[in-house]
Amino acid sequence: MHCPILIAVVIWSSCVDSQKIRGISLSYKRFYRERKSFLCIDGSKLIPFDQVNDDYCDCADGSDEPGTAACPDGRFYCTNLGYRPHYIPSSRVNDAICDCCDASDEYNSHTACQNTCRNLGQRERAEVKSQMRALDQGLRLKQQLIEEGVLTWRDKQAQLRDLQRVLDDLQTQLDDLRKEDARRKKEVDALRELEIGALETEENSHRSHIMNESPVSIFYELDSNRDGRLSAKEVRAKLTDIQDGERVLSEDEAVALLGGGHHVDLSRFEETLWNSIRIGHNVTIRGRVPGRLVKGEPVLKAAVSAAEKAAAELKKVEDAYETVYMEIRDLREKLATDYGPEREFLFLYNQCFQLKVHEYFYELCPFNQVTQTSASGAEVSLGKWGSWAGSPQHRYSQMKYENGEPCWQGPTRNTVVTLTCGTETALRSVKEPGKCQYVAEFQTPVACRPALRQQGVHSEL
Amino acid sequence: MAAFIVRMGPVLMLWLAVCVSGSWAVDRGNFKTCDQSTFCKRQRALKPGQSPYRALLETLELTNTKLTLQLINDNNKVRLLLELYRLQGNMTRVKINELKPLKPRFEVPDVLINDPPTEPLSLLSQDENGMVLSLGADSQRLIVSAKPFRLDIMEGREVLLSLNSRGLLAFEHLRIRKDTSLYQIKTKVNSMWENIKWVFSSLADPEGAEKKEETDAASEQTEGEEATKEDEKVEDGMWEETFKSHTDSKPNGPTSISLDFSLPGVEHVYGIPEHADTLKLKTTDGGEPYRLYNLDVFQYELFNPMALYGAIPVMLSHSPQRTMGLFWLNAAETWVDISSNTAGKTVFGQMLDYVQGSSETPQTDVRWISESGIIDVFIMLGPTPTDVFAQYASLTGTQAFPPLAALAYHQCRWNYNDQEDVAAVDQGFDQHDIPYDFIWLDIEHADGKRYFTWDPHKFPQPKEMLQGLEDKRRKMVAIVDPHIKVDNSYKIHSEIRSRGFYIKNKDGGDYEGWCWPGNSGYPDFTNPEMRAWWASMFAYDQYEGSRENLYTWNDMNEPSVFNGPEVTMHKDAVHGNWEHRDLHNIYGLYVQMATAEGLIQRSGGVERPFVLTRAFFAGSQRYGAVWTGDNAAEWDHLKITIPMCLSLGLVGVSFCGADVGGFFKSPSPELLVRWYQTGAYQPFFRAHAHLDTPRREPWLFGPENTALIREAVRQRYALLPYWYQLFYHAHRTGQPVMRALWVEYPQDTATFSMDDQFLLGRDLLVHPVTEEGARGVTAYLPGNGEVWFDVHTFQKHNGGQNLYIPVTMSSIPVFQRGGSIIPRKVRVRRSSSCMEHDPYTLYVALSPKRFAQGELYIDDGHTFSYEKQKEFIYRRLAFANNTLSSRNLAPGSQFTTLSWIEKIVILGASKPSKVTLKMPDGKESQLEFDFDASMSVLTLRKPGVNAGVDWTVVLQ
Repeated sequence: MHCPILIAVVIWSSCVDSQKIRGISLSYKRFYRERKSFLCIDGSKLIPFDQVNDDYCDCADGSDEPGTAACPDGRFYCTNLGYRPHYIPSSRVNDAICDCCDASDEYNSHTACQNTCRNLGQRERAEVKSQMRALDQGLRLKQQLIEEGVLTWRDKQAQLRDLQRVLDDLQTQLDDLRKEDARRKKEVDALRELEIGALETEENSHRSHIMNESPVSIFYELDSNRDGRLSAKEVRAKLTDIQDGERVLSEDEAVALLGGGHHVDLSRFEETLWNSIRIGHNVTIRGRVPGRLVKGEPVLKAAVSAAEKAAAELKKVEDAYETVYMEIRDLREKLATDYGPEREFLFLYNQCFQLKVHEYFYELCPFNQVTQTSASGAEVSLGKWGSWAGSPQHRYSQMKYENGEPCWQGPTRNTVVTLTCGTETALRSVKEPGKCQYVAEFQTPVACRPALRQQGVHSEL
Repeated sequence: MAAFIVRMGPVLMLWLAVCVSGSWAVDRGNFKTCDQSTFCKRQRALKPGQSPYRALLETLELTNTKLTLQLINDNNKVRLLLELYRLQGNMTRVKINELKPLKPRFEVPDVLINDPPTEPLSLLSQDENGMVLSLGADSQRLIVSAKPFRLDIMEGREVLLSLNSRGLLAFEHLRIRKDTSLYQIKTKVNSMWENIKWVFSSLADPEGAEKKEETDAASEQTEGEEATKEDEKVEDGMWEETFKSHTDSKPNGPTSISLDFSLPGVEHVYGIPEHADTLKLKTTDGGEPYRLYNLDVFQYELFNPMALYGAIPVMLSHSPQRTMGLFWLNAAETWVDISSNTAGKTVFGQMLDYVQGSSETPQTDVRWISESGIIDVFIMLGPTPTDVFAQYASLTGTQAFPPLAALAYHQCRWNYNDQEDVAAVDQGFDQHDIPYDFIWLDIEHADGKRYFTWDPHKFPQPKEMLQGLEDKRRKMVAIVDPHIKVDNSYKIHSEIRSRGFYIKNKDGGDYEGWCWPGNSGYPDFTNPEMRAWWASMFAYDQYEGSRENLYTWNDMNEPSVFNGPEVTMHKDAVHGNWEHRDLHNIYGLYVQMATAEGLIQRSGGVERPFVLTRAFFAGSQRYGAVWTGDNAAEWDHLKITIPMCLSLGLVGVSFCGADVGGFFKSPSPELLVRWYQTGAYQPFFRAHAHLDTPRREPWLFGPENTALIREAVRQRYALLPYWYQLFYHAHRTGQPVMRALWVEYPQDTATFSMDDQFLLGRDLLVHPVTEEGARGVTAYLPGNGEVWFDVHTFQKHNGGQNLYIPVTMSSIPVFQRGGSIIPRKVRVRRSSSCMEHDPYTLYVALSPKRFAQGELYIDDGHTFSYEKQKEFIYRRLAFANNTLSSRNLAPGSQFTTLSWIEKIVILGASKPSKVTLKMPDGKESQLEFDFDASMSVLTLRKPGVNAGVDWTVVLQ
């Protein structure tokens, strides 16, 4: 078979190259086959091959010096066997600082770098392993939380519907009560107006008041023929229109005042005409001040109390309506919040997380606010829920809380919360890198993404 | 660090609220005008005219080293003693003190590096009107006129400078307060005492006769005083003065001094920093004088003569014929008036004068007024700018030679919050591949602003943190201010108190004032014992958590006293025998002096210190760097950095910088980038920001701005060999690093007022972009017949022209002078230490005559070995006759370097056929080369020779 031989040759030749050409990765080996001359990778210049890695920069792209610090923007490849290979700027080659764990960058700086790749690799693999475990567990937890979230979402939707129904009922009640209330109020107003009218008239006249008299005395005053009954005729003779004292009442008007009959006895009088006289709205006894109600009087009192009761009832229902309305609004608002593509962040709703940092006590209530309480007990808002603020690819990796308490001579406080994957949900750190600009780390399983597994695997290479 | 703000006690907050309310500008009302400073008002009320002073020629005494002569004020009969010295190096010193002061007047110590060596004066002629003395060199003569007293320094027939020509010499002699009953008793007791003393001394002392004379003179003086008592009216403010709520008790009464100087032929004067003003000083007629009084000014205003944090009482005068300097050695509050007979004239008017040939000579008149002390003036006669720098350096010393790393980039902020923050910023620089050498910690790092301590929560492991930086070959600066928290459990405080090292208040108790930690004491740094103790506090076993890579920053050392008059110390506070009034302006110098000494001592005298100070005085250049204090993120503040640092450079302080980005407020990304580009070409390169501003590390403004800032910082690092060499020069000779153009082109009047561009050394001209939205700048390239090369494109431009340069956001217009050779290290790394052994690239810019020269200085970069063991390399690089060579300039020195010459770029070259490298041992080799015909740039590939050896390259 040809294949094994071919592979062996390739491996052998690359071994030779890697001894010769420092600072390049496997994939770049093809550019550095030992020939008489070397073509800068950007094709700009052809130089003798012995000028590759001769500590002088010939190529504008730095490709002739992958293993030295000669080129300004060059890069050096740390092979880092046993750990992750990576590039460092070539300015870090032989600068007496160990950058590559295989010590390959410090081959000529008299700095004794240890090869730490094995240890690093082991440690990283262990770390990655535990990270992967945490990620797996986190993802499982996340799934649960998503499911919980779905239930919560349904609950909330149901709650919203219930509330809506209650609100509708309350609306109907409100309509009725408002009508009733208006009617009552109108009645009271009417009675009050009469009272005022009477007072005004009284001021202009010294005539005696009807209201101070009993229904019996008025009855007998009107009963001209003393037959113990009042006829329409008697009524027309003594009563007059309240607006126009000269006008004689018509027969019909008199009958109406008597409650529809042509005669009334005393008790019927008290139920019918007496009320009209007493209220003094339409008629009065000729030459006398019209009747008038005062607050102390039972009718007004009753009317006022009825109106108050109606108003109280209305208020009660209005309050109830307001409460339910607000609840619905809050709920709607909360349901309108972006809880992630799978509503995985919904479970954080109505939760708060605390952390003590030196003398300060921090509290993060996701989708609500961040606060800081000092040892003296003074609470300061570090921002109210603003929006998701991660990069376009990972929108849900950061939250922004804005418009907290204003700073002295400065802007308002705000907090950027970075979400990290972990098996627990907890506030991990809060810092203030710039005045009144806070950053927090918040760990939660729902920040775990399957993509992190790829990254972990990648770094394991 | 700021003047005042936040995180202080509630009392301070309240006071701040009053103080800070309203606009962003300085509250001028917090600071005195000349009218509000009673001595300035009294002195300024005195108008030019006939001087009351008369020289008593019969009192002349001339010795080998000096001339003394008495002066008498004919109004009050008080006598002064004039001392005249001819100093080596073309300087004249004039000292005037009271002949018999009631008690000694303050003479500023510790500024002069030694007793300036004198040269003999000789009397050429004398009559009853005066005398003529020879000043030795160049037919210079000093003419002393007797009545009125006046001095003129002449060279040939030309008057260089006159003293008291306007009759403004005024000396408020010490006196006993007359409006108290104590005075009557004292005068009686005094005369009795004099008599008794005379009796005893004449018996015991063989020189009694002489003493008798003195006594006579004194009593004569007293009589004189008596006689003219009525002439001296007691004015308000002579014995007590109130400004705002502060009363100055003035136990010594009026003590101010004043003297005028006339400078014929001079239209340009410079210096007397620190002011946020143009390079060329303005006339002060009808306005406020320039004030020198170290003050913590909150949000200072630009383009006015108000005092700022530091004071250097040195003025330079310049004309195409001559450059001179005046050094007024006085540390009390000082005001300087400048007037000019041409200042009011329009260009047309001046031209008319010229055409008509009729005009009077231009002349600048200067008047100095100080609150106390004596008149002690050094007249530096030049005649060239270089001579004046050397003369001033011979008096007060030169710029401290900083560790190389201090010339690199510094990252500062009030405050990096904790160790994690420091680590993250450090990491950020590596991630974005931006070099830096120092990260700084402001006041919040200390435990309750107790300097020399660390906040136990934020910085629990300072040594580990410093080790972390050391691992990257980087360093840290932590602030140590001179106000000490009054707290008995704080070691520094209790030691200073128990040793009696605090400044005292007028009643004898420890002076206390408000500053960052709350109630604070102020150590008396004028006391050498105090300074020695302070220095010992920097020992590694004293300053807990410190390591070799921790350096120091002295802020607030004006001193700043939040609740003091003008935010500083009461003038009647007491330093031993002297009032704070006498020495206010030198306090800050002593703080930096003691701190620098501490850093030297902790290393056993091996390592060079690095200390930044905000307050300064003449001589401060010997102790480290200064910065221009709490500026703001505004374009005009960016522009003013140039004249402010140029002015400091003219008077010895080369290591100057401004907060990159501006301290107060938040810069736009454009302003920040432009500031980095400007700061990268100024001596002290540090970004700094106020606590209340958003973070502004270089990578926070998007990748484009990050790249622009990275490029600016990299240009700085590549040029570090040149910067280092310039500082070596400044240290050796006193020549400024950042130079006004007129310094190198003293005949070119077009350069005299120029302060939007500057030179670094002689060879680089920088015209930074300091306009918002600029599309281009117009740079002036000086030197008729010279050429300049754009350092980025290598394009050649002729000198003696205004050159319009279109700019983009990446442009930093910098030009290399044809005729110069500049070494760079183009392999820019994480920190300057990492670049130590890197090879050099030489940029040879040919003059039109195909000539160039430069230097190369190399040492270990951080110790005194260059000085003590002569361990350095100092070489002359010269190109002539198509041959470039490196020759040793310091044969006595020895140092080996691993650095070599990797590339030689010759600008303005023609194409050779062959390039040969010749070594002293006769070995020859051919060098490969590359010639760019479009720009005439010849690049020699890899000479590979060690940077410390002789070599020659021949172009054929």
